[in-house]
Amino acid sequence: MRRLPVYFLLDTSGSMYGEPIEALNNALSGMFNTLRSDPQALDSLWVSIITFDREVKEIVPLTELVNFQLPAIVCPQSGPTHTGLGLEMLHQKVKQDVRKGTESQKGDWKPLLFLFTDGKPSDIQLYREMIPKIKNLGFGAIVACAAGHLADDSILKELSTTVVHLDTCDSSTLKSFFRWVSDTIEQGNKSQGTGESVELPPPPEEVIMVI
Amino acid sequence: MNETGTYVLKLLEAHRIPFDETQKEGFDAFAQRPDIAEAYQQIRKLQEEMIEKWRISERIDQVLQKQIYIPNATAGKPYSAALSLHQLDLDFITHFEIEGLADLGLHYDATSETISGTPQQAGDAHITIRFKVDLEPSETPLNEKKVAFVVNPDPKNLWKNLPSKQEDLYAKKDEDQAFAHLVDRLYFLGVSKRGRAHANVGSFRDDDFAFAHYPATGWNVVAVADGAGSAKYSRKGAQFACQSVVQYFEDALESLEFAGFENDAQAFIHEPESKSAATFQQFAQNQLLKAAQEIQSRLFAFIAEQEQEVKDFHTTLIFVLFKKMHGHYLFLSFGVGDCPIAVLNEDLSRVFMLNKLDVGEYGGGTRFFTMPEIFEPEQIPGRISVLALRSFSYLVLQTDGIYDPKFEVEANLEKIVHWQSFMADLKGLNDEPGVDFSHNNQDIVAQLSAWMDFWSVGNHDDRTLAIVFQVT
Repeated sequence: MRRLPVYFLLDTSGSMYGEPIEALNNALSGMFNTLRSDPQALDSLWVSIITFDREVKEIVPLTELVNFQLPAIVCPQSGPTHTGLGLEMLHQKVKQDVRKGTESQKGDWKPLLFLFTDGKPSDIQLYREMIPKIKNLGFGAIVACAAGHLADDSILKELSTTVVHLDTCDSSTLKSFFRWVSDTIEQGNKSQGTGESVELPPPPEEVIMVI
Repeated sequence: MNETGTYVLKLLEAHRIPFDETQKEGFDAFAQRPDIAEAYQQIRKLQEEMIEKWRISERIDQVLQKQIYIPNATAGKPYSAALSLHQLDLDFITHFEIEGLADLGLHYDATSETISGTPQQAGDAHITIRFKVDLEPSETPLNEKKVAFVVNPDPKNLWKNLPSKQEDLYAKKDEDQAFAHLVDRLYFLGVSKRGRAHANVGSFRDDDFAFAHYPATGWNVVAVADGAGSAKYSRKGAQFACQSVVQYFEDALESLEFAGFENDAQAFIHEPESKSAATFQQFAQNQLLKAAQEIQSRLFAFIAEQEQEVKDFHTTLIFVLFKKMHGHYLFLSFGVGDCPIAVLNEDLSRVFMLNKLDVGEYGGGTRFFTMPEIFEPEQIPGRISVLALRSFSYLVLQTDGIYDPKFEVEANLEKIVHWQSFMADLKGLNDEPGVDFSHNNQDIVAQLSAWMDFWSVGNHDDRTLAIVFQVT
């Protein structure tokens, strides 16, 4: 069986406190319910969630969707956005968890990364240092989502060719974004040419592609 | 000094009220007053109560904050999970019950500390743990803690079988089957089926196959292709590639180039070390390469004529030409992608893999026949094979929809034990229905088609199996 590893890197910095973090929790819960009703996802999807604020936490290590339970995602009332530190942990986890194919081991599908942030990296130097390392991991897709007016699209563009922008961080926008995420995940387990990346479905209207 | 006196002294000290030896006499009398002794007793009692209440509160918090993970269940499947208070380090719980389990079709057995039953309904439920900790008075209400409990749907029940739209561009049948006599004792059996992943969304089968026997020359050919899941018209790419193989050799085998070929083949078969054997091998390789290049350009021409883009037609392609000559079977093969071609010898004691698979480090990553780099010189040796065998039992071409579940990893395709179990499986293991490989079996196609529906978790790709076999 081939696994499709999907990593969520979520911003839990102070600016997410209150309504945004509630909306994020709701949207994630809705997305996982959708994925649970997809037989393909139930058979192959593995999920990991890493949060970053001042600290970085792997709140869910890479877990098969069948065994996955979404914990409540919490954030401090204030504090910096250590995106770079988040990428550093992600890099280490992907290296450790994702299986590459060999003669005697079935390789995973190319892993997917979804980065969600409402601010800009406070540790910009580390963030930029990590970018080439993350790109080298061979993700099938890196989707970076900038939510709200404080998020910086151009800095995310350095990491990912697919940057989307959400004008607000409210519940319905986030739901619509994460529905699109689940559609994208469903594209992840198809055969591709070596070196090609996953083709993304068209985003819903609330989600603005940053070109 | 009595106990009360000691307490009062400490109290004065804590409040920084000065006290010296000259006051001692008056203090002793004060400490012995009944109302003071009574007050001290009350304070002690209240303090003890407070400590006890703190102990209770601390324990309740410990339970509330404890991460209690109850494994997810699957709807319709028997479930059993241990929930041991001892293992959770919650031995101080004196009363424990779980609310909400009955609605899910489950129950908790306190003696075995196990949740069991068969949940019927999938969903994201919560159950409530109601408990009491040691020291809690019996009249206080039970404490409550909500714990997530997920019942996954059974993926087997979620797969839909939606027909593909037959009016769409490049529509093709969801299943293709063939059984035919080739020549002498050789028969061809092939089935290509749409995978559950495609059936679930009503999309097309991307796999394809084609075969032919050319009576004028005595040659046979079998081709199998697996269109890329990520390319929108790969179903046509795979179909066109397979059909082009059959068409190309129809003409090429009758050409002058191939006519002179068979004499040299004799040297290759009987004197494999000779110079003419090497010449033949080089010649055969050139012919296969030329064929593959011509088939690729026909596909490109078709795509251009259709005003489409090559990337939308990505497909793998394997083909093998074979013929009996000079008392041997000669196999000439070409392959791009991750579909294997294997020949099994007469008594199933050896397997000959004719191509090296193109597999990337991640799943699903492969090379396609539609990519320009496939003809790069360093890649050629793994793509082309020339093999002569005195006899064989099965020639098997398949897509990854079959070998992923049946062989798991590429390395196993080289091992005869895996082929022995594969053939045993195919013929029907442990009373499971299988395929009876005899020429007069009227149901052979239906048998193979039914066998190819085997269930394997996570393996829902299109499945194609093309087999040439000999009857005795």
